[in-house]
Amino acid sequence: MEHKRILMAKTGLDGHWRGPTIVARALRDAGYEVIMIGMATSDEIVRACIDEDVDLVGLNIGGHIKVALRAIEAIKLERPDLPIFAGGTITPASARQLESLGIEVYPPGSQLADIVVAAGRLINSDSFSQAGED
Amino acid sequence: MKKSESEQIRSASGIELKTFYTKDDIPKAHEPYINTSPGEAPYHRGFHKKGYRTKPWRIFQLSGFGKPEDENERIKFLLKNGETGFIMEHDRNTADHCYNVDHPQVLARREDVGLTGAVMQSVRDTAICLEGLPIETSFGHAGGAVVQHAPFALASYWTVAKKLGYQLSKLAGTGQSDFNLTYLGCITKQQIPTKAGLRFNTDIIEFCGKEMPNWVPVSIAGYNGADSGLTPDQELGSLFANAIEYLDEVQRRQSIPLEVAAKGCAGVSFRASIHIFEEAAKMRAARLMWSQLLKERYNITEPKIANLRIHCVTAGSKMTYQQPLNNIVRGTLMGLAAVLGGVQSLGVSGYDEALSIPSEHAHQMSVRIQQILQEETQLAAVTDPLGGSYYTEALTGLLVEKAWTFFEEIQDQGGYLACLDNGWLHAKAAENQHLEFMEMEHGKQQLVGVTCAEEDASPFQIDGFMGTDDAFDVALERLNTVKRERHERGASASLKALEKACRGEDNIMPPIMDAVAAEATLGEIGDVYREVFGDWNIPIQF
Repeated sequence: MEHKRILMAKTGLDGHWRGPTIVARALRDAGYEVIMIGMATSDEIVRACIDEDVDLVGLNIGGHIKVALRAIEAIKLERPDLPIFAGGTITPASARQLESLGIEVYPPGSQLADIVVAAGRLINSDSFSQAGED
Repeated sequence: MKKSESEQIRSASGIELKTFYTKDDIPKAHEPYINTSPGEAPYHRGFHKKGYRTKPWRIFQLSGFGKPEDENERIKFLLKNGETGFIMEHDRNTADHCYNVDHPQVLARREDVGLTGAVMQSVRDTAICLEGLPIETSFGHAGGAVVQHAPFALASYWTVAKKLGYQLSKLAGTGQSDFNLTYLGCITKQQIPTKAGLRFNTDIIEFCGKEMPNWVPVSIAGYNGADSGLTPDQELGSLFANAIEYLDEVQRRQSIPLEVAAKGCAGVSFRASIHIFEEAAKMRAARLMWSQLLKERYNITEPKIANLRIHCVTAGSKMTYQQPLNNIVRGTLMGLAAVLGGVQSLGVSGYDEALSIPSEHAHQMSVRIQQILQEETQLAAVTDPLGGSYYTEALTGLLVEKAWTFFEEIQDQGGYLACLDNGWLHAKAAENQHLEFMEMEHGKQQLVGVTCAEEDASPFQIDGFMGTDDAFDVALERLNTVKRERHERGASASLKALEKACRGEDNIMPPIMDAVAAEATLGEIGDVYREVFGDWNIPIQF
């Protein structure tokens, strides 16, 4: 079985890489193929979603929620069924806003194990099996 | 939580901790240093016999957001509340990338502009930010944390100071241009390559060496290595590996005395993290290593130069998103570690660090923590209070050993710059981060309020500080205004002169000063760099 693919991108221009690289490693260790495109505009994120034919998008959000919402809107327009989850320094109010759009939020302090489980659940919502396993 | 008695406990640097220490645990090489006094070589015991009685540590907080006037107001608030120096933060989107707000990459994220620092695209903006600040009597940090941004930030600050009638030769303050931040901890989308970065920093050291004796030209930040994942011994080893890149380059150029450059490089910053004794020992080890390095590599023993001056910032990454009031305690303990280590300057992270830049209240609390440490605890009464403790001296000696080993590993890889270019340091940091997380995931390391004690009887709600919402609009308007009103031929000639200097070997600071004075803008100067130097090839994916 082919590995499921997860795109990871940063919506802002702040290049702190600690969070996303730790998450990417945990996802890879769980058997997913992770494509990291770093700092990307909403257009660049959408293009990568299509070109890389990914199964899930992880957004690292470090700035204003409007910037993240622009990316999310653009993804939903092109690939309405593609699940998205988010992490980073997200204020509680912004987290609530994202959750109201069906996007799971993993703020600092989240457990990697929970993020890995969430990836499996989001990619294949009717099965809890690790989608990345052969 | 009770640990099993047989369980090994290791410090962050991997030093196995014993249940108690005796004289026999102090490394032999460290023994001769124990009976020295503060102010004596090798200086691990501190900068002066009377320590903080001669000079309390500087209360020095990162600050800034929004428009230059918003940042000005916040700095004034901090000074009024007891801050004893001030730091200008520049907007990451524009400053770190040397973009103006009309750059496509910034336009795509216009709402982010001003979130992490004020937007300063021309010397007019810097003048607004500095309006009414005590730049003659206070120690100012001009910003310019990222290497390619530093010349512009410094030149802007100095140009405003000159216009206000201050003499550059008397101005005291600091720049940063930190390699750890730029190429390791917080990587930008576009950045000049490390070789050009080394040239920029050496140009700044040279310029200050000739013109500005009271200015710290560059400040190497171990902090940015440590908060990216480097362990305390690695933080030390990489910092001195970075320092010799600058000093060797000055030695090669022979344009200023090496002593002058060494004095300029002797103002560094470290992270103060939560393992109190190891962190205090780290500051002591740093002073010892600096005096060893200068003596052995450059034959410099002059006390004023060989005595390292340390600014410390508490570890932002140790501040939790959950139960944010607990961070006030963490900030206090990390600040305590720094002060026990005898640092000259301190910034305490805001309790809202995991959510946003500090709110006014969080900022005030950071200052209050420092004031309580200074005024109520008698911490400032006795110099090097841990000196002579078996445990602290053993940790200091062991850290020195481990740090020099890491320093040598970096040399074996071709030096500090090579280790940034090939991603070796990034891999080290990433591996440590991974291990740290695994320890938490497996319950070996607890984080109160996060991995244990998660109940919260009366949640303290903070929503994160989002600054102002007009930073982008005002910045765009001001950019257009300055371009319309400036003497266009003068501005464009200054940019041409800068390009010529960049292509040649002349020091770039004089043409940068001219360009800033001619109201050339940040983005235009960045375009010159990009044209001449191209982009650094980022060695990692993130």
